[in-house]
Amino acid sequence: MKAFKFLRSWEAMLVLLFIAEMLFFGSLNRRFLNVENLLYSSSDFTHIMLAALPLTLVIITGGIDISVASMMGLASVILGVSWQAGLDIYLALTLALAIGALAGAFNGLLVANTDVNPMVITLGTLFLFAGLATGIAGSLGAAGYEGISGLPRNFTVLAHGSVGPVPYTLLFVLLLVVVYSVLLHKTRFGRSLYLIGVNKEAARYSGVPVKATIVAAHALTGLGAAMAGGMLTAYFTSARSDLGSDALMPTLTAVVLGGASLLGGSGTIVGTFLAAVILGYLKQGLLALGVTSDVSQVMTGIILVVVVAVKYWASDINQLRLNRRALRLRTLGEGVAQTAQTSKP
Amino acid sequence: MTKFFRRREGVVFLILLAVILAIGAANPSFLKAPSLLSILNTSLVLMLLAMGVTFVILTRGIDVSVGATMGLSAVALGLTLNQGLPLPLAIPFTLLVGFGLGLINGIGVAIVRVPPFIMTLGSLAVYRGTMLLLTGGSWIETIPQSIKTMAGWKFLGVNGVAIFTLAVALVTTLLLRRLRWARNFYAVGDNEDGAYMLGIPVRATQMLAYALAGLFAGIAAVIFVGQIGFVPMQTGAGLELSAIAASVLGGVSLAGGVGSPISGVLGALFLTVINSALVYLKVPAFWNDAVAGTILLVVVLIDFRIRVAVEAQQRKHRASVRQESSVVMPPTMRLKETP
Repeated sequence: MKAFKFLRSWEAMLVLLFIAEMLFFGSLNRRFLNVENLLYSSSDFTHIMLAALPLTLVIITGGIDISVASMMGLASVILGVSWQAGLDIYLALTLALAIGALAGAFNGLLVANTDVNPMVITLGTLFLFAGLATGIAGSLGAAGYEGISGLPRNFTVLAHGSVGPVPYTLLFVLLLVVVYSVLLHKTRFGRSLYLIGVNKEAARYSGVPVKATIVAAHALTGLGAAMAGGMLTAYFTSARSDLGSDALMPTLTAVVLGGASLLGGSGTIVGTFLAAVILGYLKQGLLALGVTSDVSQVMTGIILVVVVAVKYWASDINQLRLNRRALRLRTLGEGVAQTAQTSKP
Repeated sequence: MTKFFRRREGVVFLILLAVILAIGAANPSFLKAPSLLSILNTSLVLMLLAMGVTFVILTRGIDVSVGATMGLSAVALGLTLNQGLPLPLAIPFTLLVGFGLGLINGIGVAIVRVPPFIMTLGSLAVYRGTMLLLTGGSWIETIPQSIKTMAGWKFLGVNGVAIFTLAVALVTTLLLRRLRWARNFYAVGDNEDGAYMLGIPVRATQMLAYALAGLFAGIAAVIFVGQIGFVPMQTGAGLELSAIAASVLGGVSLAGGVGSPISGVLGALFLTVINSALVYLKVPAFWNDAVAGTILLVVVLIDFRIRVAVEAQQRKHRASVRQESSVVMPPTMRLKETP
């Protein structure tokens, strides 16, 4: 019964979509299905996953955070600047992660304590964090294309090293998928995220610490974005304020395609992870076919719209079916009641 | 008049004036006509985009694709001009392209029922990708300079396009107030189900809102190309979020039904003034975004505080009225009881 339920879930659809994608690209280009290559090229989109996984938590509460992209740049600049100032590189990374979590918590505090639309608030902080990043980098003369380079090898190995064919970053993301899944599906915190997304008032009256929960979700998102910033810094071996600046749309696309509704109350970590993988390899696959990144951008957009439209239609049709069945059962019930009455003397 | 200042537009207008005067006090050359006019000219594109987005936000939607729509329209303008199409034909064609791109969003949202954010996120990627495909990723230069002379035309020292943009803002705001069918935008955004019950064509109104956002992006494209004389690859990139920021700053509520195109104009002016002000205050330009973001947050939070205070006052007022009336109540009740 449980297996049957899984087969009808959105995650199962995503798994099918992933298999179809692999078969499609594999049949057109044999070399695409080289496992070693596939694992290695995941580094191109791990930063999307690092940000999208915790962002799922925020979107489940009915919120949104469009400042993730600028938090990546901010974390990268903090990392680079504090390393340049003489801090140990791992201490600098810790500092960047802490600043990221703080920036996220700042978003969360503003969202939780006002009724201002979260999109407006994070739009403000999107500009604020991006401005802080370029401002700090600019004042220290690192605004250019080069950024702060010459980072030590024991740091860049984080993005370039691997256990066998599996990159460290992918292992780390898989670990995070487990951690966030447990957090979301097995703890009181996770359940309250869903409750807040469905009905904030009901959550408040049932004693859920609504504000603290929202702040925590945003802080985790900030932390995730900072991880992504750190990962990008190591990957490109230089700290720049514009790192991740084009990551906002792919990140949101991954969360939405993963099954989270922007209205809140639904979404899973595994769904987001699968969607990010599908989107990431879509780009890789199209590139392998010789399709330019412009076309792959067009196709990503179309796929996003079509998949979500089909999903909404499917849920509408399902609702219609359930309504019909309820109606049929009721008329059936009335019929039974009538016969029972007429059979009475 | 007091009513004007109780509206968000009025408050933002006052803050804007105060900011301009404060910058002028620090550096008097800021208040000279040339610098103010150049700020006005710089803000025109953002103004038009924000005005267009305002229609969509009024109906409780969101459009994150206007920047890409502007970019693709600009490419359409550049390509048709280079094909030898005369300016008077190329401009209507560009506007039509913008309108059509907006209409696609409208159909997706109103008919296919894709959530607005996702629909426009998708079309953002599609339009930007198409734009790069059409140009092959390179700039469109060698555009006939007739378009630059058009944008350079001046009336009493003020650019014609600036007068045109402000006139469009005024006219659309007035029309939105006066025309019955134009008020549908507010009705749909305030209460979609209620508007439907009243017989308002909800889906057509939503579709029109997105199409208008596209049309305004088309106008913005024409003015942008006219101002700089070529079409760079990044035309409109990132402006979608600035446009939303501008209209929200100017008083449009993302909850729908509140605001006017004037909000977009004020918000766009505000953001541009901040950006240019830093130059006059000798603050390095890389702090621009940080200041703009802070100001957006501060204005939105002040607005929230004011709203909470006003609501509390109203509740207090209502409670006191109820208390007074409860004192008056008993005699009347007794009167009713004795027939």
